[in-house]
Amino acid sequence: MGKKRKHSETQTAEPRKKDEGAPERPKRTLMGWKDKDEVNQQTESSPDSPQVFRNKEKVMVTCSRRINYRYRHLMLNMVSLLPHCKKDNKVESRSSKGATLNELIELRGCSSALFFECRKHQDLYMWMARCPNGPSVKFLVNAVHTMEELKLTGNHLKGSRPLLTFSSNFEKDAHWKLLKEMIIQIFGTPKEHRKSKPYHDHVFVFSIVDDHIWFRNYQKSVPHNESDKMVRGLDKMTLVEVGPRFCLNPIKIFAGSFGGPTLYENPFYVSPNQIRALEKRKKAGKYAKKVKAKTRRKMHEQSNPLEPDEFADMWRE
Amino acid sequence: MGPRSKDLSLLQVENNVEDDADDVIDDPSEEEESESESESEQEDVKLMEPSKTAIYNREGLVERLEDISWPENVDWMHKLSLDIDQEKEVDVNDDLARELAFYTQALEGTRLAFEKFESMGLPFLRPPDYYAEMVKTDAHMQKVKGKLLAQKRQIEEAEERRKSREAKRIAKEVQAEKLKERAKQKKQEIEEVKKWRKQRQQSGFKDGKDSMPDFGFEDGKSFERSSKKRPGVSPWDRSGGKAKQGGGKGNDKNKKNRDFRDSKFGFGGKKGMKKQNTAETTNDFRAFNKGGAAGNKKRKR
Repeated sequence: MGKKRKHSETQTAEPRKKDEGAPERPKRTLMGWKDKDEVNQQTESSPDSPQVFRNKEKVMVTCSRRINYRYRHLMLNMVSLLPHCKKDNKVESRSSKGATLNELIELRGCSSALFFECRKHQDLYMWMARCPNGPSVKFLVNAVHTMEELKLTGNHLKGSRPLLTFSSNFEKDAHWKLLKEMIIQIFGTPKEHRKSKPYHDHVFVFSIVDDHIWFRNYQKSVPHNESDKMVRGLDKMTLVEVGPRFCLNPIKIFAGSFGGPTLYENPFYVSPNQIRALEKRKKAGKYAKKVKAKTRRKMHEQSNPLEPDEFADMWRE
Repeated sequence: MGPRSKDLSLLQVENNVEDDADDVIDDPSEEEESESESESEQEDVKLMEPSKTAIYNREGLVERLEDISWPENVDWMHKLSLDIDQEKEVDVNDDLARELAFYTQALEGTRLAFEKFESMGLPFLRPPDYYAEMVKTDAHMQKVKGKLLAQKRQIEEAEERRKSREAKRIAKEVQAEKLKERAKQKKQEIEEVKKWRKQRQQSGFKDGKDSMPDFGFEDGKSFERSSKKRPGVSPWDRSGGKAKQGGGKGNDKNKKNRDFRDSKFGFGGKKGMKKQNTAETTNDFRAFNKGGAAGNKKRKR
């Protein structure tokens, strides 16, 4: 691969990759890396072996039809945040969703996908899937704030590699660990990607609160008076929120891509349709309850008759 | 595969189908889930039966994790991920605390990463002279700036308004004080004169000596205009002498007129015109326009 090194400053002492007479194109499967790196041998050999790990992650970002404006902007924000993504056209309805999407991903030559599905113009579901036969997750997205909101005032380089921070809850359970790994692979920009920029000037925050994954994106800003480049008064660093913001509620984890046996179901998840139905049902009984209350009062009055009031005729003419 | 229905009511059916399809060790994990369920059920009444049958295939998950994860010896530089310890539980509904928690998590992460980068000798933050495409356009940032400035201006204006209100109130109080002072002074002086007269009466008007107390109002000072007032400005002039009325054309006439009236009616200007005509002043035409009266009357009709 030609080394288009635009940013010579960021060259590290990493050994150059040499194609050691690998005759065929490596398969873009999950096993592909393992074959090249020969993991088992590598752990024993020195770290400067010629086979080097390359992050060839490509994410396909699509949405369903009839998506809301807010969610469409969220999708576009994601596209601008991930330089290693490919945006695709809207996908038709849900009949054979899994197969269609898998084909699309293969066609574009991507290894994962982010699919935004909007139902009833109100609810947004996000699928994170690993293409060939990897696991996939379905989330319900809440609390969406896009980058266009004027209260989110930060800005950062387009395509610079983010710093991913996870709260320690991610180690607590198996499904969180799996989610963490998927997030690292999808949201982390590959190291020497063509469209990536040097310097790391923004941070992603993934935090689990109340069994939801909260996402925030902050810009690192440092006052410019410091003359020294490196040690730039780190105490004075402030973080300004760039956006977007959203909150993910995991619904199910599947073993295959967009389908397959369920590995995990969120026991606390209630679908938004159900929530709306319950609220309506609560309101629906209002009239019936009123009628019942009236009859109850009548019965009560009949069973406990009042004593005649001695002053009732006082003002009568 | 196939369409995933979102209704929980269909979950039962799906579970049965999947139970056939895969090797799931549900029961021990389900018990764990149901325990946690019973606690949450008190808060969230909507959770009912379906949650108890939630699938949790630990081994499947771990297996998948191993499948997809990158090899162990991958440089940290590829992943750039950090784990931050979250000390205390954050209440979801408390917005400020939650955002603060996220902020501190990000700050911690940045600090750790900075140390790592420094040890590796790599540049970390963007130097101020590096210009490249940013994720938000310049036009958008202009809008943001405009909004921030507008907010700041609003706050400042509110401050100013409040201050001026306070100042006005204080000024009013001071003015009231001054008026009271003056009234008191006047009363005092009148009392003094009365006293002196009574004294004189009592001692029978005999002495020509100046046993007169020196009244403060006798030295003619009160007829002078107070030095506070500006020389060219009349006391009834609201604009403070800064409004120009038709250039210098009418000024001489008006000033002469004005001066005459002042000397005639004295202290207090217009409102002091309490004196009526006297014998001398009936035929005193100094204050009137010379011969302009007849012509004006004709024109006004």
